[in-house]
Amino acid sequence: MFLHNLKYELRTALRVKDLIFWLILFPMFLGIAFKIAFKNIYTNVAKTAVIPVAVVETQDDPVLHQVLEAVSNGDDALLSVQYVDADEADRLLEAEEVKGILNADGRLSLTVLQSESSIYEADVEETLLRNFAEQYNMTNDVARECIASDPASAQAVIESLTAEIKPVTEVPLTKGNPDFMIEYFTNLLAMVAMYGSITGLHITIQNQGNLSKLGARKCCSPTPKSVSLAACLLGSMIVQTICMVISVTFLRFVLRIQFGGNLGLIYLTSVLGGILGLSFGFCIGSIGRFQTGTKTSICFGVSMLCCFLSGLMIGNMKGIIRKHVPWVNKINPAAVITDSLYYLNIDSDYRRYIVTVITMAVLSAVLILLGFLMTRRKKYASV
Amino acid sequence: MQVFKAFIKVMRKKLSTAFIYIGIFLVIAVSMTKSGQNPAEQVFKSVKLGVVVFDEDDTPESRTLREFIGTRHNLKELEKDTDVIKDTLYMGMNTDIHVIMTIKKGYAERLRAQEYDDLFENYHIHDSYYSILVGQLLDEYVSSVRAFQASGRPLSDAISDTERVLSAETKVTIRKADGEQNSEETSPLFDDYFRYLPYILLSVLIEVLCPVLLAMGKKNIRYRTNCSSVRSSSYTLQIILGSTLLVVAVWFVFIIAGFGVFGMFHGTAWFSLLNSFLFAMIAVSLSVLIASFNPSELVVNLMAQILGLGMSFLCGIFVPMEWLGEGVIRFSRFLPAYWYVKANEIICGKTAFDGRQLCVYLMIEAAFAAALGLLAMVVRRTKYGRAAQLA
Repeated sequence: MFLHNLKYELRTALRVKDLIFWLILFPMFLGIAFKIAFKNIYTNVAKTAVIPVAVVETQDDPVLHQVLEAVSNGDDALLSVQYVDADEADRLLEAEEVKGILNADGRLSLTVLQSESSIYEADVEETLLRNFAEQYNMTNDVARECIASDPASAQAVIESLTAEIKPVTEVPLTKGNPDFMIEYFTNLLAMVAMYGSITGLHITIQNQGNLSKLGARKCCSPTPKSVSLAACLLGSMIVQTICMVISVTFLRFVLRIQFGGNLGLIYLTSVLGGILGLSFGFCIGSIGRFQTGTKTSICFGVSMLCCFLSGLMIGNMKGIIRKHVPWVNKINPAAVITDSLYYLNIDSDYRRYIVTVITMAVLSAVLILLGFLMTRRKKYASV
Repeated sequence: MQVFKAFIKVMRKKLSTAFIYIGIFLVIAVSMTKSGQNPAEQVFKSVKLGVVVFDEDDTPESRTLREFIGTRHNLKELEKDTDVIKDTLYMGMNTDIHVIMTIKKGYAERLRAQEYDDLFENYHIHDSYYSILVGQLLDEYVSSVRAFQASGRPLSDAISDTERVLSAETKVTIRKADGEQNSEETSPLFDDYFRYLPYILLSVLIEVLCPVLLAMGKKNIRYRTNCSSVRSSSYTLQIILGSTLLVVAVWFVFIIAGFGVFGMFHGTAWFSLLNSFLFAMIAVSLSVLIASFNPSELVVNLMAQILGLGMSFLCGIFVPMEWLGEGVIRFSRFLPAYWYVKANEIICGKTAFDGRQLCVYLMIEAAFAAALGLLAMVVRRTKYGRAAQLA
């Protein structure tokens, strides 16, 4: 009987073409939109680029030339320098072709354009220019002061100021993909998983006599409700798994999104996430005797809220939640799914990943159990 | 007004669903505003990063350095745990901690022994200006200490002289761009609320209005209406009247919520009302267009998310427009949310206030609403014309 029910559940699911079609198309449309929108953000915003700067000299300063040449050459060049007169420098600054003007008249001073539309990084670039000017002036001041107080030490002081030192050692924290925009794509996968709640909701609709004709027929059939429900659940899980696998495959191989971490585990996480979303819908659908429309709205609305809290619309939302109400991230299904993919990407071990996988499994089991408990022994005098 | 009455009747039945969406999106709208990133620091000297300094040396010299870093940046506290450090730095763009470094054990000893390499560790996820900025400061500090030591001063004097020299300000002239000004009539919270409002309006109005329109457009009801004495134009007008009533009510709820958060609007801030109202009209036209294709309610929900999220990411609602590539911006000009964001930037003072330009943007929005409305009417006429023939 179970297999018979399962067969018909799968056939029914395949006939709800528009839902399946849209559950598969939905991440594709949004994935393409994200890909287009985020194409250059990581390189534009997070990574360093050469800062264009104009230099105006009122007196010739060969030392400054040497220093500027040193910082504008090589693979890790910081500045791209143009030596121009004051008028041309002003024009370049107004046209935003340079980030600032370095005025050299013995000491370095900086002129920048305060643009209301400039983004935070632009100000960091200006601050870097100011620091450069400051470092140059400081070197001059220190050399002048040391030599004035002890002329014999002039050689040692100049050597110490010009010798290359490396006081800071970089400690890399991950071998994964550092692009934080990946978070939006993991959130998209979480959203597809959460929308699996609609599939879960369908299970209860098809088994509740007051919500569908099929439910009414099932209620008076001799098949035990537990068998019918279990077959429906398994059938829906198979359909949801197919949706999740197609979504991950599209994002990974068509849009070439580098999620980071083991690909097999990314699929596993997404499938588990889909089952979690489905269980969520199954549980919501089993609560009370609301109409289909109300239950659908609750599913969509709560799914949307979960995705919002896990950072789908605003990237730092999960961080804010972690700071103020950390327990929300632990039980928010969307946050658990995105955390799981994040740990796969960033961590070198599977310690935290395993915790999130267990959380997904436990949450799914609890939600399905709650669904079963609320559905059992529900009788209808008249439908 | 039978059609209008029927519309209201259907609407009342769908009210509980509508309230769920309005409630949830109200929570999202207010939370978005409160958590706004406000990434644009406007004053040059205020660029201060959040820096966590783990002092493993814990000597007077290392404490002095920590305090010195605190004069240039904001010192933050953080648990010294690799997982916490990773989580913090990965989202470094969005949290208040940008750089995490360690003053290594033996710092003071090594300075005394005139060894200057490998004194600090900087935890690193990817190259960033933040790391360079703090790295520059540390280089500057150590170079100066080294030079003073080379001139024969003891370490304590070298450190105090370094602090004195580094406290000298470098002259920075800030030139204002022509015509740009700050809007004193809006606040960053206000700007954020109205920046995110198109997503909310689009999602809510499609979710709330479409089910009512779908119920009114059901084949059997439509056939009955077609053979009734109600004229087609009268039917359409009454539907438009009912839709407008619903939309104005929803729009009003979000504006009242705005009043609740920011108090009474002043000056140019009132233009935000007009801007958001025009966008609400665009959302209505889009809803009518979607409903014309008679999709299932589930598909309507998914369409609302695709349109709402897609437009928000492509038009500079969720990520600042400056972050988007030129190609994206060129494409997003064909989307109404782009013009809403441009108008909002003028209203919020992000770009120079230009009344003429603002009018142009508002008119483009109105044109979008009209064009989508006309398209919806053409689709409905074609589909219902066919239905009438069948009937």
